[in-house]
Amino acid sequence: MNTQALQALGAQQQALLQALLAQPGSTDAHACEERLAGFIDASQPQTARGLAVYRANGHAMAERALRSAYPVVAQLIGVDNFALLARDLWHQHPPLRGDLAQWGGALPGFLQHNAQLADVPYLSDVACTEWALHTATGAADVVPDPGSFARLAQEAPEGLALTLAPGTAVVCSAYPVASLIGAHLDATPRLDETAQRLRDGQGEHALVWRQGHRPRLQRIDPSASALVQALLAGADLPQALKAACGATHSANAFDFSAWLHAAVADAVVTGVHSLPPRVKPQKPSP
Amino acid sequence: MTAPVHRLSAAAPQVGIGWRHPHYAALLEQQPALDFIEVHSENFFAPGGAALAVLREGREHYPVSLHGVGLSLGSAAGIDPWHLDQLARLVKTIEPVRVSDHASFARGAGLHAADLLPVPMSHAALTILCANVNQVQDRLQRTIAVENLSAYMRWREADMDEPTFLNALAQRTGCQLLVDVNNIYVNALNAQRRSVTTDPLGDCMRWLDAVQPRHVAEVHLAGHVHCGDIVIDDHGSRVHEAVWTLYSHAVRRWGAVPTLIEWDTDLPDFQVLLDEAARARSTAQRSLEAAALQVANA
Repeated sequence: MNTQALQALGAQQQALLQALLAQPGSTDAHACEERLAGFIDASQPQTARGLAVYRANGHAMAERALRSAYPVVAQLIGVDNFALLARDLWHQHPPLRGDLAQWGGALPGFLQHNAQLADVPYLSDVACTEWALHTATGAADVVPDPGSFARLAQEAPEGLALTLAPGTAVVCSAYPVASLIGAHLDATPRLDETAQRLRDGQGEHALVWRQGHRPRLQRIDPSASALVQALLAGADLPQALKAACGATHSANAFDFSAWLHAAVADAVVTGVHSLPPRVKPQKPSP
Repeated sequence: MTAPVHRLSAAAPQVGIGWRHPHYAALLEQQPALDFIEVHSENFFAPGGAALAVLREGREHYPVSLHGVGLSLGSAAGIDPWHLDQLARLVKTIEPVRVSDHASFARGAGLHAADLLPVPMSHAALTILCANVNQVQDRLQRTIAVENLSAYMRWREADMDEPTFLNALAQRTGCQLLVDVNNIYVNALNAQRRSVTTDPLGDCMRWLDAVQPRHVAEVHLAGHVHCGDIVIDDHGSRVHEAVWTLYSHAVRRWGAVPTLIEWDTDLPDFQVLLDEAARARSTAQRSLEAAALQVANA
């Protein structure tokens, strides 16, 4: 088989993909369809119908995949708007992989730059938190190591770190994101309380993790947020504690012991591990 | 490489159902008499969590057929290494009875349409498909089965018909074929709407006759929907009578090939799937007995 024939096949496949994924009605879409017409029998009415079937299937998959990852965004903007949003995202940020669970991560950024949704400025942060929950759903399982907590009493804290649950993430928002999601998914807190927090301009730090197979979301204070973010960034315990204490302006110092007790009970923290030794920068040779 | 699975006696074939999310609990609670269950591989690519745990639980009770929809075996842009890595990990975890995907493409330069788009029945497409199937089989260290499509558009270029194309694929790569009887019928009905044929059922029987029996590893049966000017393979209803007729024909020719009832949209009560599976088993049994009688009387 000559290379030219294989390249031609690649070109015709790319023409179909671009014709299906270009924004409908755009100049680009017309150009793509003209390119594709050279490879197919465009005069046959069923050809146009068939292409419409593939486009409709793409839109249905986009809606389904996005609704599965962003149930609260879907509730907040309504079914019809969400369908249009899914279609727009499908065409402007098409999938890169054959696993649709991987598609949709571009939505928070897409929402942030969408002028039509400027009156719901918190939508992007809600989406960001929902994507973290979606990611946590399938994160690699971790076997808890309760015996390792004894190391906290036996060893110097330098070089020790807390092992966090699968999918742990923190979203810091100028809006009450954890409350917004909780209110829409399981009425905790109530919608009227959430609306009041929104009116009061309350920001929230949202902690996302997976407890067993259940994705969890919790509003946390700035100190706990700083602690978890430091751990996620690879800090050891003294560094993480320093970050936690530096994040509070409250007269009450951060109570690490109380936080750890609750975090272990909720399986946010599953054990203690050693960080790999840091490589000291070498002095340049004289 | 494993050999194609065939039962050439009059015994009923292995019959399975597609196991989808709304039926996870029902299957595990009822544990009905099924020979295997089928899942879409991509739904279990996540390295952990509830989905993989439930599949492991299902695997404790049934052999699992891993059926992919996103490998893009016919893509001139090649196989996505990430996708193949996830599939290899899942295969290692689940130890499936069969691994399959489609004779289609969806992957191009920097994008993936997440659909089953047809490849032309050309020498170039066959070359690409063979190379990609070989790559997957080498990586998985096992034979895969490749499924024929329902296609809603046709490329101008065609060097051969579909059975010839698929036979050549199996011959060159040692892969198996997964024959979706409903897809053949949907294509024939759409050809009738284009006035290309006046005998869709006869065309389908000739299609089935043209496939080499030794290549066939699994048969899929599903429903389709008539949408006026086009027929769509939506997997959203019971298997149509014409497709049962074709299934009988296929079984008489191929023997007791493992058979799957696929239902992916508008999922019915779990019992409806089990009823369809029972019908597949009895239809195959009758067809095999009739074939055996025919041979005895010859």
